[in-house]
Amino acid sequence: MKITLDWLRDHIDFDLDATTLGARLTMAGLELDALYRLDQGLEMVQVGRLETVDPHPNADRLTLCQVRIGESCLQIVCGAKNHRPGDKVAVARVGANLPNGMEIQLGQIRGVTSQGMLCSLKELGLATEAEGVLILDPATPDGLPVAQALGRDDMVLELGVTPNRGDCLGVRGVAREVAALTGKGLIPLEPPTLPIEAPEAIAEVRLEDPIGCPRYAGRLIRGVKVGPSPAWLRHRLEAVGLRAINNVVDVTNYLLLDLNQPLHAFDLEQLTLPVVVRRAGEGEILRTLDGVERTLTPAMTVIADQARVLALAGIMGGAESGVTEATTDIFLEVAYFDPIATARTGRRLELVSESRHRFERGTDPEAIALVMERATRMILDLAGGKAGPVTLIDGGTWHAPAEIFYRPERVNRLGGIDLTAETMNGMLGALGCQVMPISGDEPRFMVIPPSWRHDLKREEDLVEEIVRLYGYDRVPTSLPRVPASPPVPDPQRVLAERVREILVGLGYQEAIDYAFVGPEIQARFDGAITPVRLLNPLSEEQSVLRTSLIAGLIESAQRNLNRGNGRLRLFELGRVFLPRAEDGVLEEVERLACVLCGPAEELSAHAASRAVDFYDLKGDLEALLHGLTGIMPDLVAGGPAFLHPLRKAVIHDGNGRSIGWMGQLHPAEQSALDLRRELFVLELDLAGLPVKGKGGSGEVVASRFPGIQSDFTFLMPERTPAGAVVAEVMALDTGLIRQARVVAIYTGSGVPEGSKSLTLSTVLQADDRTLTDAESKGVAERIIARVVERFGAALR
Amino acid sequence: MLEDDLAKLKESALAALDTAATPADLEAIRVQTLGKKGDLTQILRGLGQMDESQRAAFGALANAFKESFANRLAERSEQLKLTEMNQKLEREWVDVTLPGRPRPRGTLHPVTRAQNEIIAIFTAMGFPPASGPEVESDWHNFEALNIPPDHPAREMHDTFYLPPALDGRKRLLRTHTSPVQIRVMEGKQPPLRAIAPGKVFRCDSDLTHTPMFHQVEGFMVDEGVHFGQLKGLLETFLIRFFERELPVRFRPSFFPFTEPSAEVDMGCLFCDGQGCRVCKRTGWLEVLGCGLIHPNVLTNVGIDRERYAGFAFGMGVERLAMLKYGINDIRALFDNDTRFLTRHA
Repeated sequence: MKITLDWLRDHIDFDLDATTLGARLTMAGLELDALYRLDQGLEMVQVGRLETVDPHPNADRLTLCQVRIGESCLQIVCGAKNHRPGDKVAVARVGANLPNGMEIQLGQIRGVTSQGMLCSLKELGLATEAEGVLILDPATPDGLPVAQALGRDDMVLELGVTPNRGDCLGVRGVAREVAALTGKGLIPLEPPTLPIEAPEAIAEVRLEDPIGCPRYAGRLIRGVKVGPSPAWLRHRLEAVGLRAINNVVDVTNYLLLDLNQPLHAFDLEQLTLPVVVRRAGEGEILRTLDGVERTLTPAMTVIADQARVLALAGIMGGAESGVTEATTDIFLEVAYFDPIATARTGRRLELVSESRHRFERGTDPEAIALVMERATRMILDLAGGKAGPVTLIDGGTWHAPAEIFYRPERVNRLGGIDLTAETMNGMLGALGCQVMPISGDEPRFMVIPPSWRHDLKREEDLVEEIVRLYGYDRVPTSLPRVPASPPVPDPQRVLAERVREILVGLGYQEAIDYAFVGPEIQARFDGAITPVRLLNPLSEEQSVLRTSLIAGLIESAQRNLNRGNGRLRLFELGRVFLPRAEDGVLEEVERLACVLCGPAEELSAHAASRAVDFYDLKGDLEALLHGLTGIMPDLVAGGPAFLHPLRKAVIHDGNGRSIGWMGQLHPAEQSALDLRRELFVLELDLAGLPVKGKGGSGEVVASRFPGIQSDFTFLMPERTPAGAVVAEVMALDTGLIRQARVVAIYTGSGVPEGSKSLTLSTVLQADDRTLTDAESKGVAERIIARVVERFGAALR
Repeated sequence: MLEDDLAKLKESALAALDTAATPADLEAIRVQTLGKKGDLTQILRGLGQMDESQRAAFGALANAFKESFANRLAERSEQLKLTEMNQKLEREWVDVTLPGRPRPRGTLHPVTRAQNEIIAIFTAMGFPPASGPEVESDWHNFEALNIPPDHPAREMHDTFYLPPALDGRKRLLRTHTSPVQIRVMEGKQPPLRAIAPGKVFRCDSDLTHTPMFHQVEGFMVDEGVHFGQLKGLLETFLIRFFERELPVRFRPSFFPFTEPSAEVDMGCLFCDGQGCRVCKRTGWLEVLGCGLIHPNVLTNVGIDRERYAGFAFGMGVERLAMLKYGINDIRALFDNDTRFLTRHA
């Protein structure tokens, strides 16, 4: 909402400069978004009188002008054709920095000195197109700043108006705030006296939808002469960013801005009385002023005559019934349209207008008669014509604001302040409320808010009014009292924090991706689930809710690789959205995904130049899960199809439950996505992990007796899973095998094709004795026999 | 005669020790001198021809020789070990200026870091962390928060909608973390407090907006809660979070779920309130929204609005992270460029 200081002074006489005024309004809830001079860039532009206009000695298309500005006379070369000796023109002097960015310098044009520039409206930033230089009113004295001559000697305040304060969408509303803040009185708005010169011109109206339109007023004005508005009106509208159109339309726009009351003027010739306010019929069509054909529904309130719909109530007029240059008789409408009905219609049609903006926030239903009189007065003054009587229909559906009961003690208690009832009542009075005491034990008052404040409904609303007028900054601060018991931690958060801690320690960088992705990449990485599609996505690339994290993470990896960041260790913790088959409920599941690629070590003088492989990622996974649960995960060959068929695995937690997968991205996917490196990826569910507690995991007493280490090297088929060998050995019921692990794998010379050499290192130990040679030999034999038998191995 | 031999042996043996270059040389000299077949043994063979009195005197001489030989040997052995060690050390030069083997630590996302700091401060002040779903119902995201359908405040939230659930209920991506307030309060009675971080979504994307961002919501409901406490709590928070004394101001504003409502500004970190580009020349940075919980919200969750009062506040994590860590493009936060992540770790 833009207002100018000059305009505000029509309503209140205040003695604050613009900056102070802006600060006071900001601290009262009308935030100053911007403050600027209207004459920005016009500081060095003055009115000049053309003394002579001669042809340029060296150029046919240019003129050489002598321009008088007060005492001085300037020589200026000008390329326009519309200027004559004696004209008053706008002269940009040397040093001027015009609104369009042009800087005026002392110049030589075709060998002749030019000491400035004659400006067009466009160059002054006052029009987008202009023909020739601006010729001012001959009565304008030369030497006057052009800003002053054009009514631009003013300041604009741009105020942010919150949705609850629709009453401040008019200059009068802002003035009311200034009055309440400064104690200065408002300049009263007297209804003008109007002769009814056309008593026979009855504005017939039928109000058939009192829900959508609680109050409606119409009036005919005959014999108007539509034409341009006078300068002061055009300047005011332009100063706040509105285009001047013609005197009738400009008056309606002016009052919309001045008194926060949208009006509409119909061309009487384009309609047949009576005007009907009704619901639209199903499928009725209206072409609105913006040229768009709109299909209406019975939920929408319209203004119509017998033949057709003329306007969308409170939102926009129709293209056919508006005032044009040819209009002579008008039907002027001032109404109170229901906020909710207006909002609903506007939203359904996605139609935004200044009018809708105000009606849906609530205008002042008690101001209709006054606005009608002022609008008529202005139109008669500017366009002439004769006014008929006003038809005002009250649908009986608008109820004056309900009274609010309030207790000063409670205001103090909620606000944390200490004001007297008298002070509070004074503040409410300054806002236009009526305050009446109520007899009883505790002090109570009845408050009737003014008709323009639809936001005041309960005691708490008055708390805000009183505290804000007192000043939020003056409320003394303290701290809330809370019991001295430490908050219970959220287990999900604790788990997530531990995951982050471990992964960051392992060198992973946390990524955050959008929760929505493109359907194509989503299907590529999770084809089994149909993701939920947003009804109103911003783009196709962000249109479905992710059902896995890996898609987003791979896209992040792709961006990094394209930018030359080749060594990546990324992880993301976040939710995926899985539609439950039986009832469609979207389950939000907490997941972790990792991406690993590039050199195993960062480039350095010491580095072994090895690329990461499956076992790097598996090592990180083991470190993570062991760190979280104290248990090593089991990997079982297999997993999703977008992974390398022989380098993928399903991850099982210690209890045999499948919790995710890991592996190398399939080379076909890698090339389809144009990824320059092999990517190793994993994704797992975090929910339900058997997280170990902070306490000890139970006493484990180490045996006092020595362990015997024995190593066995076998030859076996190459694809024998090492994990199976270890499991088989550990499963032997000797009670003595404390540890078994694979410490070497070898293929190559000396090992037949298709075989590998595998070295198993075991530790044998008893809790109650030192093992005898015979015992350990016995166990060793069983180990060998079992491995040979189960895996077709041979001891080397 | 034997005395002369011994004197010669002493001279030559000690000289040999002095010129030996390695511990092995020393050992060879020891064997040559004192060994079973060594020089001393040879000399001592002549002992038989001596008479008693000479023998005793010569024995003493021989022992004195042995002792001085042993002493010199030990001394030389020490010296040679030292030399050998020094030679070894000399070969073991490292370039201390060469960087160590890289052990790059990972990085937490700046949003996570800021979120953790925010949560830590409020947890220390007695607010337990809470969370809620990202896909919300219209009730939790809007209606329970006093935002009925067709309320103009809905325009402040550019909402992403999902197809309705099978039971016909509207579903949307939450536009703020305030629904967690409702979820914590539903079915419970005061005193209630919580601090709730999370992702939120708005269909808005430009230079300064991303369609997903993070908020932290906090609230408290109890007897005797008032606006002054809210001010004190948030001032304390901002000073702790930004680790410096800052002017903080509360400005009336509007949120449908609070009454009175306030925006919280703090003095600009970049110009100390003098006015700069970051604060749009106002000297103030808007960082928080807050207010006393609207009585309709309390009623919606079955809390007695006469007996209890509450306050609530919400903040944008990205905004706070960008201000604290000096990040100027919000979109970079969701680009996951490792150079950015490393720089802002």
